[in-house]
Amino acid sequence: MKLETDPQAPERIVRRDFLKQLAAAGAAAWMAGEPTLALAKDAGGKETPKIKQPEPTADSCILIWMGGGMAAPETFDPKRYLPFEKGLEIKKILSTFPAIDTAVDHIKICEGLENIAGVMDRATLIRSAVQADLGSILHSRHQYHWHTGYVPPQTVACPHLGAWMAKVLGPRNPVIPPFINIGQRLEGVGEKEELKAFTTAGFFGSEFGPMNLPYPKDAAAAVQPPKGMTAGRFANRAKLFRKLVDQNPNREVMSDYQRQSMLRSLENADRLIASKDREAFDIGLEPKESRERYDTGRFGQGCLLARRLVESGARFVEVTTEYVPFLHWDTHNDGHTTVDRVHKEMDRPIAQLILDLEERGLLDRTLVIIASEFSRDAMIEGKPGSNANDQARFKGDKMTELAHYGLHRHFTGGTNVVMFGGGMKKGFLYGKTADERPLVAVENPVSIMDLHATIMTAMGISPKTEFDIEGRPFYVTQDGKGKPVRELFG
Amino acid sequence: MFVNQKPSKSSARFWALAATLAFSAFGAIAAGEIDFAHEVAPILRKHCVECHGGENAKGGFSINTRELFLDDESATPGEADQSLFIKLIRSTDPEEQMPPEKKSRLSPAEIEKLEKWVNAGMPWDAGFSFTRRTYEPPLKPRRPELPPIVDGRANPVDRILDAWLAERGLPRPAPIDDAQFLRRASLDLIGLPPTPEELDAFLADRDPAKRAKALRRLLDDEIGYADHWLTFWNDLLRNDYTGTGFITGGRKQISEWLYAALTANMPFDQFVRELIAPSTPASKGYIDGIKWRGNVSAGQAVEIQFAQSISQSFLGINLKCASCHDSFIDRWKLDESYGLAAVYSTRPLEISRCDKPVGRVAKAAWLFPELGDIDPKAEQPERLKQLAKLMTHPENGRTTRTIVNRLWAQLMGRGIVHPLDAMQTAPWNADLLDTLGVYLTDKKYDLKAVLELIATSEAYQSRCEIQDHGGEVGAYVYQGPRSRRMTAEQFMDALWLITSTAPGTFDAPVFRGRVDEAVLKGMRLQGQWIWGDSATGGKASPAGEEILLRKVFTLDGEVVRGGAVMTCDNSFVLYINGREAARGDSWSKPQAIALNGRLKKGSNHFVLRARNGGKAPNAAGLLFEANLRMSDGAAIVIASGSDWQWNAKLPKSREGRLGAVGGKWEKAIGVQAKPVWNEAVSGKFKNLLASVAHGEMPMTRASLMKSDFLMRSLGRPMREQIVSSRPSELSTLAAIDLHNNAVFADALARGGRLLAARNWSGTDELADYIYRFTLARKPTNAERATIHEVLGPEPKAEAVEDLLWAIFLKPEFMTVR
Repeated sequence: MKLETDPQAPERIVRRDFLKQLAAAGAAAWMAGEPTLALAKDAGGKETPKIKQPEPTADSCILIWMGGGMAAPETFDPKRYLPFEKGLEIKKILSTFPAIDTAVDHIKICEGLENIAGVMDRATLIRSAVQADLGSILHSRHQYHWHTGYVPPQTVACPHLGAWMAKVLGPRNPVIPPFINIGQRLEGVGEKEELKAFTTAGFFGSEFGPMNLPYPKDAAAAVQPPKGMTAGRFANRAKLFRKLVDQNPNREVMSDYQRQSMLRSLENADRLIASKDREAFDIGLEPKESRERYDTGRFGQGCLLARRLVESGARFVEVTTEYVPFLHWDTHNDGHTTVDRVHKEMDRPIAQLILDLEERGLLDRTLVIIASEFSRDAMIEGKPGSNANDQARFKGDKMTELAHYGLHRHFTGGTNVVMFGGGMKKGFLYGKTADERPLVAVENPVSIMDLHATIMTAMGISPKTEFDIEGRPFYVTQDGKGKPVRELFG
Repeated sequence: MFVNQKPSKSSARFWALAATLAFSAFGAIAAGEIDFAHEVAPILRKHCVECHGGENAKGGFSINTRELFLDDESATPGEADQSLFIKLIRSTDPEEQMPPEKKSRLSPAEIEKLEKWVNAGMPWDAGFSFTRRTYEPPLKPRRPELPPIVDGRANPVDRILDAWLAERGLPRPAPIDDAQFLRRASLDLIGLPPTPEELDAFLADRDPAKRAKALRRLLDDEIGYADHWLTFWNDLLRNDYTGTGFITGGRKQISEWLYAALTANMPFDQFVRELIAPSTPASKGYIDGIKWRGNVSAGQAVEIQFAQSISQSFLGINLKCASCHDSFIDRWKLDESYGLAAVYSTRPLEISRCDKPVGRVAKAAWLFPELGDIDPKAEQPERLKQLAKLMTHPENGRTTRTIVNRLWAQLMGRGIVHPLDAMQTAPWNADLLDTLGVYLTDKKYDLKAVLELIATSEAYQSRCEIQDHGGEVGAYVYQGPRSRRMTAEQFMDALWLITSTAPGTFDAPVFRGRVDEAVLKGMRLQGQWIWGDSATGGKASPAGEEILLRKVFTLDGEVVRGGAVMTCDNSFVLYINGREAARGDSWSKPQAIALNGRLKKGSNHFVLRARNGGKAPNAAGLLFEANLRMSDGAAIVIASGSDWQWNAKLPKSREGRLGAVGGKWEKAIGVQAKPVWNEAVSGKFKNLLASVAHGEMPMTRASLMKSDFLMRSLGRPMREQIVSSRPSELSTLAAIDLHNNAVFADALARGGRLLAARNWSGTDELADYIYRFTLARKPTNAERATIHEVLGPEPKAEAVEDLLWAIFLKPEFMTVR
């Protein structure tokens, strides 16, 4: 695109015109970077995108990520329950929590999730999600697969699904970054490099990458002037910058395009920090009563932050219980006690998030997904017959203490995904796992590829959407072959 | 203005049809009623080829050749109703129908014809392909005749470019002034802007050869050059100090080797040979790639990674397509990728197409057999040597063209061949590319000589092209160098230099310095040969005995620089704090490692797993010495001696981890050194230790630090894949960081305080200093007035900080131009 600019005009005015022209050209302010959407020529010889995008059923997406392996039999797929008892054979254990009723007659979930049970009539529950067996469990590798749709390593840096939405759909509100990642630290935790590998826009470039907010309480700082700087000084500094840019005598020796594109990004940043919308990042501004309903810790605060951001026009938000090796869902020991705590952290905030979105009229157009890289089992590591290394800490046959009570092995054969809103059916159950070990999906298995196709279709992105990178097509679902699970749509 | 005529898309789409005409009669007869070329191919071309032919293979399906057509069970010859593609063509489901929804459908007559063709066994004319004819670059070097010198512009680069511009009636780009030249050259060659003092001296110099002299001075700055070009090579060789793969020991750094190679300006042919056929473990991490624990698709096995890496880094070939199936976009075939992979492979390598074995085993071979072959029967080290030799063969113009094209792009902002990793693309100026290529070999593969040739040209020293659009639109027309956004490292380095806020220590395990001969002479080694109880009283130790030797020590502060040298009769593995750090298998070849970034404040331990070789009892011994320079200036020596301990119980070590050590630690036994031991190692020990122990330490550079959030948002890649160019755009997230990132804000605040505290004659002097340091120019009167408004007559720290911020964010600052 050639932009007409007057070299004599002050830079500021040039910039304003430039932005206007950009808007006129229909390019989202966040758009930049190398890969190009695959184009095809139509009958008239005009280049148009190859793919016709589906009509979206959702405008925003919140991914609630249960990092570490959320055990299906301890959450949304209760199986035979046996309470702890010394000497009990571990192989007899399927669930360590009894089943409870939900708002939907034929759906039962685990004790400890009473609040979520109350909103299951808004949910589509998939009990038959399955993952590839990668031969050896490295959580972050499975998480990479789940978040990008591709098993690492890959020859190109794969974009996170949030980056796909940022790239293809752009921001809903031009000042709110389209991909926000809440609750996951990327420094100072195990497997941090592996987590960074998929928490990225990959070949789309950092323009579409995540804004990382590991501590929801500190999120406001990410969009405020630096610590200790008053708003007045911050504004004066920005004025000084604009003035010096306008006074630049070297304008003729630089490329308009490059300069304008840098100024455009700086302007975007300035707009966000100066905008009232940045208050969305500040959960301290939430009424106390509401804050307390969510506040079960960092995860609960993250759910609240996610809600505020979506209200303000965020496109994709991920909020996680956080993956840290051997913490939270990554139970290799003392699983029952740990999950009891995680239940308490997740139950209220998730239910509240759904109710709040509904009350604000946002649920219908917001796709909320609860998912994890795989499930867990008391006996089987990986999938039945896998030779993956057994990582349970206690390897005896009979429990001698409470710490042995829990699902301490990783299981990829049958996993839960819960979806709310965003055009999905309500109070709907899809897929089934066996009632006895191995608890594998026995009905309607859903692969990561098809799950992605479903999510992307709901967001208005065809699973066949492709970008040319290094002269090759790269698809949002592998080879463009993902098929949305039509039965899930309402 | 004259602009190169770009061939229209349709004329460029020139299908290889020659073979069709020659064989169509035969094809028709063999198939009975079906004339493939005249009846079937046109239908396929009309409806299918746009997405599934030429370089396109939507959904991984290409119909370029019959073989590709049949792949993936898309068609079953003889059975139209069993053929998937017919089913899709007939389908009315918008999700699966072919051609897709928006395209026109096939007519019943066309479908009938295709079915008839499939039922007839899908006859295909021999040699027919829907592949587009593409440019095939020359392999051998070529020495073009240079155009005559015009206006005294004798540099070969100028002779070629002046003639090129003249031919097209285009003006030569205007020259830049001395100050802009020095800023550009300094950022390009050592990655730092010139200091105001350097700038003053340069401007005051009346020597007409001062630009050439300045370039030589920059290139001779061994550390500055290595610090800067380390970024380029780390990207291109995907080397890093942290990242995926290290966690399970599936990846090794080559930092130390690489940095030493850059400091010594190792000739490029030798450089390539040591990377492909490493003579020491130090450069082996490159070919070993990244090995993930668990199952990996066939296309990402380490052997395939090897083929992809070396072909991309050194030949500008993208083998990623051809690692999975015959490439749709260039001429490379699956078997060729596997042939290259088999050069590295130490197991029989079964060829897989799209992750499914095809039942053939790959045979070691290389991509350009016209230059010679690899003996598939030779052992792996020998095969690698043969490959390294072919890669640097004097008649191999591909390797030299690829690297000079990269260097050109680094200095001029765009490759002569573009993109840089698609060397099969026609260069916009073949004479220029080929001239630079032969120049490299003429100069005995001296990369600095090529950089110097480019930088001394008038072309380099001219104004940047004014681009009014991003990316590549239409044919490239050379109109001067292209400005580039600073890399993350250049930005951080400039920030640290100007605000004096560089970190005191760095992460890269490299020796950053030169050996001072005087220091070397005065050095006395303190290490003593040691072993376990079996050596008590000078006894020979059992053959095959393997023990642990260790030293536990505490550090009060940060290590500014440090290194260790060690050897063992017969072999050892060194673990630092439980992680493998070095190994050696010959006592006459001491191993040295840098210790920066490997030790922490507090307790640390060196554990060496040492093994005695031989068939009968023989003398065993281990020698170790480390020198550390601490942040408070203290020097610490840790040398093997009786204060070390040994342990007979070996842990289960795997994936680069020592593992839990049981057993009891006992006092180590001193061993009387064999004279040959000391003779062979003392010189090298001293040399290596001297290089870390003494001398002034230049400023810590961003290239030596692990990546952080700020550098990542400024575009530093994660280096899991090879990267050959950095993003030119500043992302919005980076822009937010520049507004409020704590690290950046803190550096500015400290810089503001330091600069405000200095003695200035007045605001103008301070403003001049900052402007010259950041922009290599003085402020204009208008700017000066603005600065006075902000700084006032007595600049305060906060005001200076704000001015620094505003300048650092200016595109004029963030650009190398």
